[in-house]
Amino acid sequence: MNINIVKERFKQMSPGMTMDQAIVEAERCLLCLDAPCSTACPADTEPGEFIRKLRFRNLTGAVRTIKSNNILGGACGVLCPTAELCEKECSARMATDGNPDGNDKPIRIGDIQRFLVEYGREIGFQPLSVEETGVSGKIAVVGSGPSGLSCAAELAKKGYEVTIFEALTEPGGVLRYGVVPFRCDVDFIEQEIVDVKALGVEIKCNSPVVGKAAAEELLKQGYDAVFMGPGLWGAYGLKEHSADIEGCYSSVDFLAKLRDEEFDGIISQFKGKTVAVIGGGSVAMDCVEASARLDTNDVYLIYRRSYTQMPAEKEERIDALQAGVNFLILHQPVDFITDDKNRLTGLRLVRTRLGEPDESGRRRPVLIDGTDWDMPVDIVIEAIGNKAVDESSDWYPNVKVDGSSLIVIDSETGATSISGIFAGGDIVRGPALVVEAVQDGKIAARAIQDYIEKKGNKE
Amino acid sequence: MAQKKPDLSIEFCGKTYKNPFLLSSSPVSNSAEMVERAFDAGWGGVVFKTLGSDRLRIDHPSPRMNSSNYGSRRLVSVQNVEQTTDRPLKDNLMELLYLNKHYPDSQTVHSIMGFADKEWEYLARMSEDHGADMLELNFSCPNMTIEGSGHDAGKSFYDLEHYTSIVKRAVSIPVMAKMTPNITDMTETAMAAKNGGADAISAINTVSGISGIDLDSFIPLPNVFGHGASSGTSGPGMKPIGLRFISDMAKDPDLNLPLSGMGGIETWIDALEYLLVGASTLQVTTGIMHYGYVIVQDMIEGLTDYMASKGIGKLSDLVGGTLPKLGKTDLFDLDRQGVVEYDLDRCIGCGQCVNVCTDAGGQALEWKSETRRPELTEDKCLSCMLCSFVCPISGLIKYKAMPEGWKRRETAVRDPSLEKELKYEPYVHDGSDGCLV
Ligand SMILES: Cc1cc2nc3c(=O)[nH]c(=O)nc-3n(C[C@H](O)[C@H](O)[C@H](O)COP(=O)(O)OP(=O)(O)OC[C@H]3O[C@@H](n4cnc5c(N)ncnc54)[C@H](O)[C@@H]3O)c2cc1C
Ligand SMILES: Cc1cc2nc3c(=O)[nH]c(=O)nc-3n(C[C@H](O)[C@H](O)[C@H](O)COP(=O)(O)O)c2cc1C
Ligand code: SF4
Repeated sequence: MNINIVKERFKQMSPGMTMDQAIVEAERCLLCLDAPCSTACPADTEPGEFIRKLRFRNLTGAVRTIKSNNILGGACGVLCPTAELCEKECSARMATDGNPDGNDKPIRIGDIQRFLVEYGREIGFQPLSVEETGVSGKIAVVGSGPSGLSCAAELAKKGYEVTIFEALTEPGGVLRYGVVPFRCDVDFIEQEIVDVKALGVEIKCNSPVVGKAAAEELLKQGYDAVFMGPGLWGAYGLKEHSADIEGCYSSVDFLAKLRDEEFDGIISQFKGKTVAVIGGGSVAMDCVEASARLDTNDVYLIYRRSYTQMPAEKEERIDALQAGVNFLILHQPVDFITDDKNRLTGLRLVRTRLGEPDESGRRRPVLIDGTDWDMPVDIVIEAIGNKAVDESSDWYPNVKVDGSSLIVIDSETGATSISGIFAGGDIVRGPALVVEAVQDGKIAARAIQDYIEKKGNKE
Repeated sequence: MAQKKPDLSIEFCGKTYKNPFLLSSSPVSNSAEMVERAFDAGWGGVVFKTLGSDRLRIDHPSPRMNSSNYGSRRLVSVQNVEQTTDRPLKDNLMELLYLNKHYPDSQTVHSIMGFADKEWEYLARMSEDHGADMLELNFSCPNMTIEGSGHDAGKSFYDLEHYTSIVKRAVSIPVMAKMTPNITDMTETAMAAKNGGADAISAINTVSGISGIDLDSFIPLPNVFGHGASSGTSGPGMKPIGLRFISDMAKDPDLNLPLSGMGGIETWIDALEYLLVGASTLQVTTGIMHYGYVIVQDMIEGLTDYMASKGIGKLSDLVGGTLPKLGKTDLFDLDRQGVVEYDLDRCIGCGQCVNVCTDAGGQALEWKSETRRPELTEDKCLSCMLCSFVCPISGLIKYKAMPEGWKRRETAVRDPSLEKELKYEPYVHDGSDGCLV
């Protein structure tokens, strides 16, 4: 198959709602008092308010509500697992329970949110501006993922001078190098980043803050405060040495390659191959769906528990099945099989059964003796979890971290154990959500403002 | 450079309103506790629920309202049988004193209704003495159980002029007369109030109507213990009527009074339309009865953003903006014609356009069942636009002006062979028996 046809499958996300669809959907909204969807949104994006505004044809106001509460409101509209967040609490859905008059579908909040943000872009509406507060202060933000962008935007709106240091060549963090482009494409993300830059935020790419105490040094280089949002870019693996095996990828590596100059190489490497993805979460679903689009032979998802125990959302699981992915559930991979040149040729699997519940409350997979077998595969992608990169604590040696190298903060303020250094996003929570990273950035920004004001008063 | 924020404030009868949005006189303005929350939500002023003198006891019929629905949409209009306030005047005056004290920047208009000369005079003085910024004379409630009051007075040129002049003589604050739409020409009734000294006109009060009938008992709704009555209808369905009356008055050079518009306002777009036909303050009841005071936030934000996008700095620049383009139908250039055009790439194939064109339009659309698409014969299109109204995809069907001189095909006669049976001869006009042209 032509390489361009394959590329085309990765380029764009599917189109969002039209104005007509959004209006019809907003008309279904019950305009609840004390809207439960608003309470459920981790970033206080206020869906109850922006849907009401849409209903009363105050479209610009609706865009303002979204973007002023959530600088990544567009990306969240696309990427939030809404069925577990705002839409889970929607009264239109609640009305079904035992109520025959109820209608069984929640308002499509995420889709409306995306529509409004795209509408704002289409008419060139700029809802955000820098307040004339007369404050002064310089803040360094490490990482241009959702938490960093959110913190930077919030501070810039208040009139602070913000510089983001980003290790990679383009900003966006996981949005750019993790999430597959057919779920959220580059153009869409760039527009969100344009909004951040328009507030005066400077983003320095190819500027990793690494090396001994590099993050703490920023405080000595004239920055009044530092926000750490480096995310989790290390990968858990089945074996220590899996990275050395040819044909063996971590999800982090594989997904990042879809976005950069190595994409062509990936396309030719995957062509006609049998791929196995290990894991059952959303990242694993991204990996299988991407593999299925790569002109591969067969794609397997290997998961050690049952279908219903998968952490991935129901829609994602169904989409993957529909895309032709074969789910191999109740199977635990135990080893890689390689040839003499350390090239992958297969996976050793053991069948499992469900035993007693574990600490997560889910029934534990138990290996069934004597059921191991070798499955021939050409490529394996391990999507069993991301972690902090190993040396990350060296960048901030005095900042308190936990056993998994996650930064310990005060949850009300995002403050770390070192005064002037704040943190948020995945580096604090472990693998979490975009919308939660946005909220962390906002909370830290407010605390940073307080911190700088207090510091100014002391001086 | 940052653009200056558009200014929503407006002058009305010598007072400055921070925005044009007022609660109209009705249950939404029934108590100080309610109005206080409305002011906090952003409303620029209130016309308090119509005061009476306590001489005749007022009880509201029960139940008080009925809703007209359209499919699943509720409250397309509301019919009510409520009268003027059922609260004692003393209590109401205390409420108004409270609002005056705590909200000096929000305008408080007292609505009053008397049933005799002295009573109008008394109520007007009481109001002025308790800090009213302005009076609104209720000549328009269609629901009064006391004969000769409410819209009965509002249909009588004599009563309008007479009561207005009594009030004007009694007080020095501005006086606005509130008109009933249950007449044919509001410029005449408004002129009667002006002759009595009215400083402004507000309109419309509710339209007499029947919203529904109980099909088992045949009793009209709301069913007040076995009886129904045509009574006050309000809400979005009444907007065209309100816009029409306001524009009529705004265009009348003899009347020339400031206007307070209402009738079906819910969104900033409705509000803007009232401004454009000549209202400079706006009042709302049913929108609040449906959605609460919060809707003012969307009216303020929506109107502000609109003005910013058009580079309009002051609200008064919008007032009457439509009037130069609003004429009578005899001004239309009937030589110019047009048709519809279809963007079939966006068509979803529902066929509603073909249905309405065939049964109510020009039979200009043919249904292509293989492709599920309509096919237009341009010179049969009447440009009635029905197809565009039923099309679920906005903007798919648009109007297209045709070049000057373009003519549409005449509707074909079903059976031309019947011509031989015709007894037709052309009409020839002779004489001048009431001839218009
Ligand atoms: C494949 C995948 C799919 C996902 N899909 C979804 C989804 O659909 N919906 C959802 O809500 N969440 C999703 N998530 C989770 C979500 O993306 C994260 O929770 C979120 O991105 C965390 O934001 P962050 O700012 O903490 O970190 P990140 O997004 O990880 O950004 C961190 C940034 O910091 C940079 N950086 C790291 N170290 C340094 C350094 N030393 N110096 C300078 N820069 C540095 C990195 O290059 C990166 O750009 C997904 C995650 C993955 C991995
Ligand atoms: C229940 C109800 C009671 C009303 N009572 C009064 C009143 O006491 N005095 C008055 O001047 N108008 C009264 N009105 C009329 C409203 O003030 C207003 O003129 C009318 O409802 C049109 O506006 P709307 O479409 O925004 O409701 C009442 C309307 C309703 C629905
Ligand atoms: S940000 Fe996400 S969770 Fe919040 S309202 Fe929007 S779609 Fe829902």
